[in-house]
Amino acid sequence: MFRYILQRLFYMLITLFIIATVTFFMMKMLPGSPLSAEDKLSEEQKAIVLEKYGLNDPVPVQYLRYMGGLVKGDLGVSFAFDNTPVTKILMDRMGPSLQLGFQSLLIGSFIGIILGLIAAVFRNGAIDYTSTIIAVLGSSIPNFVFAGILQYVFAVRLEWFPVALWGGFEYSILPTIALMIFPMATAARFIRTEMVDVLNSNFILTARAKGISEVGVVFKHGLRNGLIPLITVIGPMAVSMMTGSMVIEQIFAIPGIGEQFVTSVTLNDYPTIMGTTLLFAFLFVVIILIIDLLYGLIDPRIRVSGGNS
Amino acid sequence: MATNDQNKIPKELLVPLVRKEDTSEKISGPSRTFMQDARRAFFKNKLAVISVFLVVIIILMSIFGPQMNEYGTDDQDLTRAKMPPHVPVLEKISWLGLDGTLSGKYRGNDVEAATANAIARYDNKEEFIDIKVVDEGDGSRNSAVVDATYHIYDAKDMSDQYFWLGTDTLGRDQWTRLWEGTRVSLIIAFVAAVIGLVVGVAYGGIAGFYGGKVDNVMMRIIEILVGIPNLVVVLLMMLVLQPGITSIVVALSITGWTGMARIVRGEVLKLKNQEFVLAARTLGQSNGKVIMKHLLPNISGIIIINTMFTIPDAIFFEAFLSFIGLGIVPPDASLGSLINAGFDNLRLYPYLLVYPAVLISLIMIAFNLIGDGLRDAFDPKMHK
Amino acid sequence: MKLKNWALLLAFGLILSVLAACGGGSSEKPSDNAGKGTEGTATEGENVLNFVNGDTIPSMDPSLATDEYGFQFLGTTMEGLYRLGENAQIQEGIAIDHTVSDDGLTWTFNLREDAKWSNGDPVTANDFVYAWQRAVNPDTGSEYGPYMMNGVIKNATAISTGEAPVEDLGVKADGDYTLVVELENPTAYFESLTTFGTFLPLNQKFVEEQGDKFATSSDTLLANGPFILKDWESTSNSWNLVKNDDYWDADTVQLDKMTYEVVKKPQTGVDLYEAGTVDRAPLSSDLVDQYATHEDYTVEPQTAMYFLKMNETRNEALANTNIRAAISRAFDKEAIVNEILNNGSLVANGILPSDFSRMPEDSPEAGTDFREVNGDLVTYDVDAALEYWNKGLEELGTDAVELELLGDDGESAKVMGEYLSNQLSTTLPGLTVTLKNVPFKQRLDLDSNMDYDLLISGWGPDYLDPYTFLNLFLTDGDNNKMGYSNPKYDELINATTTELATDNAARYENFLEAEKVLFEDAAIAPIYQKAVAQLVSPKVQGVIVNPFGATYEYKWASVGSAE
Repeated sequence: MFRYILQRLFYMLITLFIIATVTFFMMKMLPGSPLSAEDKLSEEQKAIVLEKYGLNDPVPVQYLRYMGGLVKGDLGVSFAFDNTPVTKILMDRMGPSLQLGFQSLLIGSFIGIILGLIAAVFRNGAIDYTSTIIAVLGSSIPNFVFAGILQYVFAVRLEWFPVALWGGFEYSILPTIALMIFPMATAARFIRTEMVDVLNSNFILTARAKGISEVGVVFKHGLRNGLIPLITVIGPMAVSMMTGSMVIEQIFAIPGIGEQFVTSVTLNDYPTIMGTTLLFAFLFVVIILIIDLLYGLIDPRIRVSGGNS
Repeated sequence: MATNDQNKIPKELLVPLVRKEDTSEKISGPSRTFMQDARRAFFKNKLAVISVFLVVIIILMSIFGPQMNEYGTDDQDLTRAKMPPHVPVLEKISWLGLDGTLSGKYRGNDVEAATANAIARYDNKEEFIDIKVVDEGDGSRNSAVVDATYHIYDAKDMSDQYFWLGTDTLGRDQWTRLWEGTRVSLIIAFVAAVIGLVVGVAYGGIAGFYGGKVDNVMMRIIEILVGIPNLVVVLLMMLVLQPGITSIVVALSITGWTGMARIVRGEVLKLKNQEFVLAARTLGQSNGKVIMKHLLPNISGIIIINTMFTIPDAIFFEAFLSFIGLGIVPPDASLGSLINAGFDNLRLYPYLLVYPAVLISLIMIAFNLIGDGLRDAFDPKMHK
Repeated sequence: MKLKNWALLLAFGLILSVLAACGGGSSEKPSDNAGKGTEGTATEGENVLNFVNGDTIPSMDPSLATDEYGFQFLGTTMEGLYRLGENAQIQEGIAIDHTVSDDGLTWTFNLREDAKWSNGDPVTANDFVYAWQRAVNPDTGSEYGPYMMNGVIKNATAISTGEAPVEDLGVKADGDYTLVVELENPTAYFESLTTFGTFLPLNQKFVEEQGDKFATSSDTLLANGPFILKDWESTSNSWNLVKNDDYWDADTVQLDKMTYEVVKKPQTGVDLYEAGTVDRAPLSSDLVDQYATHEDYTVEPQTAMYFLKMNETRNEALANTNIRAAISRAFDKEAIVNEILNNGSLVANGILPSDFSRMPEDSPEAGTDFREVNGDLVTYDVDAALEYWNKGLEELGTDAVELELLGDDGESAKVMGEYLSNQLSTTLPGLTVTLKNVPFKQRLDLDSNMDYDLLISGWGPDYLDPYTFLNLFLTDGDNNKMGYSNPKYDELINATTTELATDNAARYENFLEAEKVLFEDAAIAPIYQKAVAQLVSPKVQGVIVNPFGATYEYKWASVGSAE
C-alpha cells in the first residue's frame, strides 16, 4: 500500500510537470504580448520593454527560468496586476470560489441524493418521473439563464437577497443556488441508478426477509452501498466547482478564480495563467489520488488490480 | 382365471408409442436477442420515446424551419429591430404574447407622469399605446403605476408582416436564425460526439485490452490532457484554424474523448478476463477478432449511452464559448450565440432569450432522457 | 465491510471539512472589505458617494499605469504640475505658474511650497525629476513613459533606448520649488501633458523604500492629491477614497468619501443602482431602451473616435482611392449611432472629435470648435459611394472584391461588425465582406502585422491638441499600420512640431488642411464619436468629465440632495 502511494505520488509529479510544460509552450504560442499599451508603442520601444521582462529570450530559456522558479516555489509576478505575486492573486481569488463551490457541492449533492433516493424507492411512479424531470431540467438548463432568473426574481423584484457583489454569507446564497443545480441533478440521477441496482440485490432481499422495516432497508442497507460509487463522480466535479464558474462569478460580480483565469488568458498574463493552471491541475490530481485511495480502502479487489497495474 | 382375465388386454389395444418431441423444455414465446429485448424495453419507456420524436422533429425543423418564411439569416433592417413575436391567428389570443405588442409597467408621481413616461418609452406614438392604470398613486415619488401596451406592428405600419418569434437587434427574423442556430449547434454536437466516440473507443479499448504498462501510460496521458485548461486549447485552435465551426469542433474533440476512453477502458478491463473471452482466446482467435466479435458487442450499450450524454455536453460547451465571445462567427448563429445575445436583453425583450433557451433545454432534456432510456434498456437487470 | 464504510465516510467528511476550512479562512478578507464599504454608506452627516467600477485597478504606479482605471485613480489621489478643470481649462496644481523661453524649448515651473505628501514630506521639484526619469528609464519597463515623453522632453528617446544615462533627461530641479524642463521641440500642448498620469511626481525616498512592493496596496502608496486610496490591494474588488486633509487645497474638496465596487455586467450595475446601493451606473445599448425615459438618465459625450482602418498593402482593391472612398460613404452611420449604439454617440464625419479642441486665439475663427470649422468631410451617401465604387472597379478591371473585416470586441462592437459587413456587402455590388472576430490580443497582433483588410479601430486623445489624432497617419507613424502615406500630409503635420511649433494659429491651419488631405485620400472611414449613457443620481454633483487622462475629476464634486 505504502509503495503504491509513493508510486502514485511520483506519477502525480510527472503529470504536473508535463501539464506545466505543455501549457507553457502552448501559452507562448498565443498571439500578442502581455503589454497593455502595445498598440501605442513602436516595435523598437516594445522590444525594449519586453527585454526588461525577459520576454525576448527564446521560449526554452524562458521555460527553464520559469521551471527553476517553480522548483523554489516561486510562481512569478503578474503582468496585469503590476508587481503583484501570482500566489497572492491565487489566494485572494480562490477564497470566494472555494466557498461557493463547497457550499453548492454539499447542498446540491445532499438534495440530489434525497431526490435520487425517492425516485429509486418509488421507481416508475409519479414521484420518480417528477424527480427525474427535476434532475434532467437541472442538468439541461444553462446555469447562466438560471442565475439571471434567480437574480431578477429574488434580488431585484423581491429584494430578499443582495443583487450582486461579495460580502457576508447572504451574498453567497443566490450564486450557490445557481451553482448547486448541476451537482444536484448529477447526484440525483446517479443515486437513482445505483439504488435501483442495490435495492434489487440479494442482500436487500435478505434484509427484507428478516423483517427489517422498509425505511431501515433503504437507509441502513441500501443508501450506504449506493453512495460509495458517487465519490468517483463527485471528485472531478468538486474540482470544477471549486475552481469557479466564470459566468456565475461575472453575473453576481464575485471576485473569483474562474473569472480571473479567463481575464488572464485574454490579457496574456503568462505567470497568472501558469499559476492558475497548475493550481487547477494540482487539485485535480490530488482529488483523483484521494478517490483511488479511498476506493482501494473499501474494495480489496480494486486495491489489488490497482496496485499491480 | 377370472383375475387373469382382467390382465388380459386385447392385443390390438397395444399400439406402439409414437415418440413425440419433449415439449417441457420448449420456449413458447418467440426467441429474442439481447438487442430485441433492449429495443422492447426502450419503447416501453414513454419519456424516451417522446424524446426521440422530439429530437427528430427538431432536426427536421433545423433543416426546413428557415425555409418556412421569406426572411433570410442575414436580412438586416434596423427599422424593424427588436420587434416582438407576431403570429397569424394566435395573435388574437393575447396571453400567449404572440400578438406583436410590447408592454411594461411605468411609474411616475401621478398617473399623468407615469403615462408620459410610458409614451416617451414607446417612440411617442400615443395613438398606438393602450394605457391601463394599475395604481393611482398618492403623489409621492414613483407611486403611480400604469400598464402600457404598445402595438408596435401597427405603429410601424407593418401589421401585415409576421415575425413569428420577433426580430433581433439588427432586425433579423428570429425564427430563421433560431433554426439555423439549432442546425449549427446540432452539427457541432454530432461531429464532436462522433469524433469523441471513435477516438475514445479506440484509445480506451487499447488501454484496457493490453493493460499493464500500456494502460498505465495511456491513463496518465489522459490525466495530463484533462489538466491542460480547455480555454488555452480553444484560443490556440482559433489561431491555428480560422475561427468558426471547425475550430470549435476540434477544440471540443481534443479533450472531449477522454471521458469515453475512461469508460470503455473500464468495461474492457472487466470483460477481458471473463470466461467467454478466455474461451475465445483458447480456441485461438486473434486479438482483432476477440475485440471485434466479443468485446465490442458487449460494450456497445455503454458506448451508445455515453454518446447520448456527450451531445448535450457539446451543445453546452459551445454555448459557454459564445458566452465569453469565442463561439461561432457572425452572421452565422448558434443556440449559444443567440442565448448570449438574448441574455443582454433579458428584462426588456425576454422573447430574444426565451425561445433559444427553451429550445436548447428541450434538446438537452431529450438527449438526456434518451440516454437514460437506453441505459435502462441495455441493463439486463431491468428486463422484466 | 461496515467498519470500512464508516472509515470511508469519516475520510470523506475530513476532506470536506478541510476544504471548508480553507474556504472559510480565505474568504474572510474580502467580506471584511466589502462590509466596510457598505457600512460607510450609512454614516450620517458625511458626504459619501458610491460608485461601480468596470474592473479592478491594475496599477497605481504612475510610471507603469496604462489603462483608464489606473489613470482615473492616480488623478484622484495625486496631483501633477497642473490639473484639468471645467471645459479642460488648466488649473493650478503643484505648480502655481510657469514661464516659457522665447524659443519655446525651456519651461520653468514655480511650485507651491505648501504641498505635502500623505506621509508629511513636502512635494518638491526633485519629486518630478525622479518620477520623469523613472518613467523613461528602460529598467522600469514603462510603456507610457516612452510613449508620452519621447520626442517631447529632451533626450527622452535616447534614454529610453538605453543610449544615454537617465541623468541626461531634460528636467532639472532648481532648488526645491523650481522645475526647469527642456523640450526636444517646442510643444504647444505641453501644459496639458503635465496633467497626465505619467507626469505625476513621486517621492523618491518612499518609492525606493518600498521597492517591488511600491503601489501594490494602499499601504505602499503616497497621495498628494485631493483623496487618499484606502482598503486597496492590487486584486481588490472594492476600495474607498477618503478626503486628504493634508491636501494643499483641502478646503475646496467637499466629498468625505467615495466607495467603489467592481461590477462588470451593466445589468448588475443597474440593479444595484435601482436598489440604491450605488449612485451611478453605466448603461449598455440594450439597457438604454429601458432607461432612456428614467429621470436620472444622462448622456456623457466623450472624445474617443471610432473608424475603419483600410489596409492598403494586403488587398490591391484597397490600394485604390476610389474603392476606399466608396467604402467610407457606403454605411449608414446614423443608424449605427441611433439603433446599435443607442447611447448618445455622435456620427463622425472627420477624425477629430467635436468639443475637443478650439481654434487658438490668434486665428480668424478663434474659439470655434475645430470640427465645426472643418465640417463634415465624409458622409453617408449611397449615390456618391456607388459612383466611386464603379470608377474604382473599372480602374481595377474587376467586378468582384472580397474583403475581410476584423471585428472589435468592445461593447456593441460585435453587432456593429455584423451590421457593417452586411451594409457594405449590400450597398456596393460585387463586394463581399466577411467578418472575422478574434480575441483582443490576436486583433492587436494582426493589426501590427498589417494582416487584415478592414479593421474597426478606436482612438482616444492623450493630450489636448489635434496632433494626438493626426500624428496617427504619418507615413512612419507607429499606429499607421495600414500603409497610408502622403508626403503632403506628412509635411503639413511635421511642420506643426518644427518650424510652426511656436505659431499656434498656423499650426491649426495646417491641422485643418491635413485633415482634408486625409479624407481626399479616403485613408480611413470614420464611424462615430463615443458617448456613454448612464444613470446618475442627483446626489452626484460637480463631477467634471475630462476629455483625456483621468475620465472623472472629483476635486470639485459634492453630494446633492437625493430627491
